[in-house]
Amino acid sequence: MSMRLEMGIFPVSRIIVGKRFGYKDETLTVDADELRELALEDGGLKDVRFHAAVPGDSARITNVLDAVEPIYKVSGRSCAFPGFLGPAKTAGEGRTHKLAGMCVVSSTYFLGPMTGIMTFREGIIDMSGPGAAHCTNSETANLVACYEPLEGASNEAHDDAVRLATLKIASRLAERTKDMEPVRVEVFELADVDLALPRVVFVDQVMHQASMVQTFMYGKNLGDSLPTLIHPNEMLDGAVVGANYKTQQKAPTYLHCNMPLIYELYRRHGVDLNFAGAIITRGHHDNQALKERSAQYVAKLATLLKADGAVLAFEGGGNSTVDYWLTVQALEQMGVRAVPIIYEVGRPGSGEFPLVFHVPEADAVISKGMQGERIDAPAVERVIGSEVVEFYNGKRVNTREAFTLIDSDYYANEWAKDINNMVGKDY
Amino acid sequence: MSAKLRVVHYLNQFFAGVGGEERSDHPVSARPGPVGPGVLLDKILGGDAEIVGTVFAGDGLFAENEESCTEEALARIQEFFPDLVFAGPAFNAGRYGLACAAVCRAAEVAGIPVVTAMHPENPGFPAAGTSVHTVPAADSAVGMEEALEAAARLGRKLARGDKLGSAADEGYLPRGVRYNEVAELPTSRRAVDMVLRKIKGEPYQTELDVPALEEIAPPKPVADLKKARIAIVSEGGMVPPGNPDRFSGSRNGNWATYSFEGKDALAGGTFISIHGGFNTVFVNEEPDRMLAVDAFRRLADEGEIAELHDDFLSTCGNGGAFVEMDGIGRAWAVELKKTGVEGVVLPAT
Repeated sequence: MSMRLEMGIFPVSRIIVGKRFGYKDETLTVDADELRELALEDGGLKDVRFHAAVPGDSARITNVLDAVEPIYKVSGRSCAFPGFLGPAKTAGEGRTHKLAGMCVVSSTYFLGPMTGIMTFREGIIDMSGPGAAHCTNSETANLVACYEPLEGASNEAHDDAVRLATLKIASRLAERTKDMEPVRVEVFELADVDLALPRVVFVDQVMHQASMVQTFMYGKNLGDSLPTLIHPNEMLDGAVVGANYKTQQKAPTYLHCNMPLIYELYRRHGVDLNFAGAIITRGHHDNQALKERSAQYVAKLATLLKADGAVLAFEGGGNSTVDYWLTVQALEQMGVRAVPIIYEVGRPGSGEFPLVFHVPEADAVISKGMQGERIDAPAVERVIGSEVVEFYNGKRVNTREAFTLIDSDYYANEWAKDINNMVGKDY
Repeated sequence: MSAKLRVVHYLNQFFAGVGGEERSDHPVSARPGPVGPGVLLDKILGGDAEIVGTVFAGDGLFAENEESCTEEALARIQEFFPDLVFAGPAFNAGRYGLACAAVCRAAEVAGIPVVTAMHPENPGFPAAGTSVHTVPAADSAVGMEEALEAAARLGRKLARGDKLGSAADEGYLPRGVRYNEVAELPTSRRAVDMVLRKIKGEPYQTELDVPALEEIAPPKPVADLKKARIAIVSEGGMVPPGNPDRFSGSRNGNWATYSFEGKDALAGGTFISIHGGFNTVFVNEEPDRMLAVDAFRRLADEGEIAELHDDFLSTCGNGGAFVEMDGIGRAWAVELKKTGVEGVVLPAT
């Protein structure tokens, strides 16, 4: 029996931080005391405050870790974000309610020392102005949860506590709609289609390095995982949760639940292709042998799915591009036509080499443009999070004032380029 | 009604009608109005632009005296007060192409919009650099009219200061630089469209044509290790505590020389890594796991190598641009050559 997911959509375009839950005419009112109690009930956090920001506001959100679109399982065998909010039962079927177009955004700071990769990298969200196009979640109505860490909390413990609280808040908000009629229902099902249509798989390479740079699937990070199959519906239900704070590279949980390629492949399933399934793989394996092993596995799984072609999405930086291109090479060598999407590392106009690594088999690449544009960020009326932040290059900035930054200092910049349809072109 | 665009045309002696190879020593000269292919270009440009002057020189003279000929050509060009300089088409004539490139670069530096035309394999095309616009021409004069039409279309926009689109959209040769644009179709849709074309065997055009990387052959082994002084170099972001040379953890362009003179091994805290691309906890606890001074001192004691060079060259390679890292590598080679080092170890991060 094929997996059928009904997504009940409750669009949200305004958020009021109030005293009692309400949803009417796309306006969500949240009960701040209820959510605070929920966030603090596990004892892992000192405090939390809530703020709302919607597209067009003169507002800047700083210290952002993740953005989570609220979902709740009204029926089906799993909960939302399985492995975190309940047992790791297979998600992706039954009925989910979603507060769509909004996110719970976690904003916080860490008390422990940071070193090397295990560093929180500042990434900001501008809700209006020229920076809005360079970050994700400038297009969503945001309920920002500003968390204070427990005294003495290790970075890892605080990160875990923030993630759990944020997922719980998101799911609780959607839960409040369980007896309400959605504005519309979207159905996701890989129904049988004309067998002559070309079979296309979605390959999603996510990041895992260490604490601060990881991705979870069903509650466990992908540290020791081999590439594996996943039904796209599982991702829509929150089976994959992001925890990568390499700000410009990260895919927020919001995106893991709303992968543009999944929607595109669904849209065309039975029309001009047969959506054959999805493969999750991780980047940044420690050495060449593991990278090759991983690449071979992806290609093998794609052939088991009898895929004619694969479209690939990428989260990561230099090292993990090696994993990515080796995967493209393995797919092509096993007869699966591959089209990877990648951002370019050369700064605009610099003439720099556009990639860290490349294979000749990658002869059909989709570019989502290059990083390194300078953006003049205007002064804002409100900063949510710390006003003074330190960017990755060590520059300290009062973010209420106007300042100049590089596009990659914006939250999830590489994905903002994707969803805003950027492309690099020869000039 | 604005005044007509004033165009100056640069030609070689052949297309200026002076003569063939026997006149390739012809000095830099100027004439008012169009000459040779300029007559056709003037016609193509139409009523709102005109060729006010033609500057020309012998290819041989230009090739042998590029600097002075360029200077002189520019001076003659400027006498016509042009809004645009067009050079060529040079087709696949190498010396002519190089002269067109030199003239265009000089005129552009002088603030005059420029356009040239030549075959993509003409050495003048790469010589024209990343700012001059070159429209493609056939490899011989049979492609004259097409090249002039493309040059006129692009030159008019350049002279007016219009913002130019991409090479593909505007019909000029890619200059090795890329910029961002907003695509007409969503990223995901472009990807799925392309994979379907690929599956069906239909033509597809990659959005990122990746230049081939230079193949680097492994160097010959050190002839006699027992007599060799060995240096350690590192792109692992290894710096003295406090990071005195202010290396950046990513996209760094600095390098420095540090010393481990008198140390048999590196204790925690002697050097730290500021590299932003890996977990530096273990290296900071034990810097020798990056620099391996302990191991090399032991190899020296055992006579496997003559000695370990006391200085190491350090940078941070995380996210480094190829061209920048290439420059650092070359600078290091020069530096190490001075010291008589015979072998270099570069531990990977």
